[in-house]
Amino acid sequence: MAKLLEMPKLSPTMTEGQLTVWHKKEGDAVGVDDLLAEVETDKATMEFRSFDKGTLLKVLVPTGSLVLLGQPVAILGTPGEDISKLVPAGQGATGQGATAPTAPALKPPSGTGQASATQPQAVPAQAAPAAPREPREPAPAAPREPREPAPAAPREPRDGRVYASPYVRKIAREREIDLGVVSGSGPRGRIVARDLETVPASAPSSAIHALAPRADSDEVRPLSMMRKTIARRLTESKQTVPHFYLAIDVDAAPISRIREQINDDLAAGAPRNGAAEASPPKVSVNDLLIKACAIALGRVPECNASFTPEAILIHRRVDISVAVAIPDGLVTPVVRQADKKSIVTIAHEVRDLAARAKAKKLRPEEMTDGTFGISNLGMFGIDSFAAVINPPEGAILAVGKIREEPVVWEGTVVPGQRLALTLSCDHRVVDGAVGARFLAELRGLIERPTQMLVY
Amino acid sequence: MSTIRYREALRQAMIEEMEKDDRVFLMGEEVGYYQGAYKVSEGMLERFGPQRVIDAPIAEGGFAGIGVGAAMVGLRPIIEFMTWNFSAVAFDQILSNASKIRQMSGAQFTVPIVFRAPNGSAAQVGAQHSHAMEHFYAHMPGLKIIAPAMPADAKGLLKTAIRDDNPVLCFESETLYSVKGEVSDDPDHTVPMGVANVVREGKSATVIAWSRIVHVALEAAKTLEKEGIDVEVVDLRSLRPLDIDTVLASVAKTHRAVIAGEGWPYGGVGAEVSDRIQRLAFDELDAPIERVQTMDVPMPYNAKLEQLVIPQAAGIAEAVKRSLYLQ
Repeated sequence: MAKLLEMPKLSPTMTEGQLTVWHKKEGDAVGVDDLLAEVETDKATMEFRSFDKGTLLKVLVPTGSLVLLGQPVAILGTPGEDISKLVPAGQGATGQGATAPTAPALKPPSGTGQASATQPQAVPAQAAPAAPREPREPAPAAPREPREPAPAAPREPRDGRVYASPYVRKIAREREIDLGVVSGSGPRGRIVARDLETVPASAPSSAIHALAPRADSDEVRPLSMMRKTIARRLTESKQTVPHFYLAIDVDAAPISRIREQINDDLAAGAPRNGAAEASPPKVSVNDLLIKACAIALGRVPECNASFTPEAILIHRRVDISVAVAIPDGLVTPVVRQADKKSIVTIAHEVRDLAARAKAKKLRPEEMTDGTFGISNLGMFGIDSFAAVINPPEGAILAVGKIREEPVVWEGTVVPGQRLALTLSCDHRVVDGAVGARFLAELRGLIERPTQMLVY
Repeated sequence: MSTIRYREALRQAMIEEMEKDDRVFLMGEEVGYYQGAYKVSEGMLERFGPQRVIDAPIAEGGFAGIGVGAAMVGLRPIIEFMTWNFSAVAFDQILSNASKIRQMSGAQFTVPIVFRAPNGSAAQVGAQHSHAMEHFYAHMPGLKIIAPAMPADAKGLLKTAIRDDNPVLCFESETLYSVKGEVSDDPDHTVPMGVANVVREGKSATVIAWSRIVHVALEAAKTLEKEGIDVEVVDLRSLRPLDIDTVLASVAKTHRAVIAGEGWPYGGVGAEVSDRIQRLAFDELDAPIERVQTMDVPMPYNAKLEQLVIPQAAGIAEAVKRSLYLQ
């Protein structure tokens, strides 16, 4: 018995996904747990595996399609089966075993007058006044036929087009909302008025969004799922989270020295049993900063907190998200329980997360539920900057590069190393004095870094 | 004000206008000795005599034509058909004469005539006697079309129609004749044509209806109210001239429109209203315009099937929910 394969929910917040590659083609045998396709969701590229075995009779959405959750993507069955009833309207049954003419299994939503007018309607005898003619038997209620539920309508790939009601487009024009970052709850993902209820008033980037591309001078790059997510989440953060910033400049010489010593010692102490062992572990300044932040957050838990409308949540776990730049955007994998992990363990985890982030192989749950963020642009030569908070985190530390510069030491100018740190705080959770206390703890740990080795 | 039935409201309108203006007379099948097929003209023969309340033979083409001719030469006839279904026999008199004479004569002639009759479905009167005929006539320039749902509007609009110098067609309903309502006793009170009435205010969705279906829409609104859906009901009252401004103002408020009326869905008044809404209020629509009409079949005689075919409150409620993306 042939069955429709539908787009599964591959992440908790997924509403649609871009089918980036099919790993099976029509006619291929499919086993349980075989990789069918890869799907780019709002979070990551996910594997779409088969729950059944059989033969892939028909592919319903081509590579690159944007597919809504639950939308049929393929038909699985046995070769020679009649699948014509499963092929949605508008798609020819060209797959294997298609013998009968296409018969749409799914009806389009009834929206036209004629369609809705010809829908059977429930008929409780209306309270019409008696006619002056012969009294007639009151018309009893006729059986009510089940109506095809609207969501069963075939959902077509959106091809990057934004579907929105005219009224929504009017509101969007007036309130300068970029509809590209709003997800629609209507048929085929249509954005309807209720979907705008949670969208903040006016996007400051509206002037850019309002620009119409000019064929001669603009290259049009369609928004990837990740770009849409970045746009939506950061806009939401900057518009709804009251940011304020605390900046300090710390002596980075001790942390540079201890990093060198750790790496030398790790190299010297690494087992030398031939090629089987890869290069010895190394730690970076950033790994040390993750550890330092984790310890400081333990000492100032008010900075390890999230705002909710009902209460402030002070987290007992210290899960630090690390912004990782990848070719077409950035992601924020999370080092869990960083306060309980050794520096080498943290280093190893960050390396693994970053590598998989670049390969888009992170699972969504590896990128959610951080309690504090770190963003380091030192490797790009940035002296100092302020980062945007990644909700629901309550704060994020922006780390610049270690600067070689003259410093005054015991009355004389000597060569020194400085590091600029900027803490962006959600003022609903973290007040200035609390943020300052956290930075004081952090400075103490960075400037006397052997503490990190013993906590 | 007094509380009277729809048929009494029509009778009051005719009596008052006939007393005011002796050029006004009533002609039709059974309007006199039988007291009216639906008792609308009860007592009028006795009151005005056989010269002004005239029983016509069963020959609609004939007495409709007599009416047009009488109007051309200065009288103000009210022509009652037994039902609008039978006006099909007189269709040419209305299409080619009543609606055309003024324009074709360069206004040397006017045709101050009223045609009136019950319209639409009744209860098991069969396919040939259940037509919603307003759609055919609303198509024609040169005619005015009224379709009151309430007794007060029946009286006020019929009086305006009788005083109008152009042909006016009044669409009544067998099942409306017994509806009671408050009606003005003031013989000078009229209701203008081309003014719709918001009979129920709401903000969730607009239901646009006319004639009997206004009551069905109000019933649907009542059930939806229990689900927290607040429906506005616009009673068009006249179909031509059409008060689109009231409709547009309501749609601008609710952002969704459901058009409900008797008659087949292909073309017709519902399609016209839908077209105007999408053209004139395009930016206000959050959902496709819904239409709830008689199903696209000849009316079945079977009572259950008949109820299935004509618009019902549940069907209107479903359409409202579709327009709210709740189904």
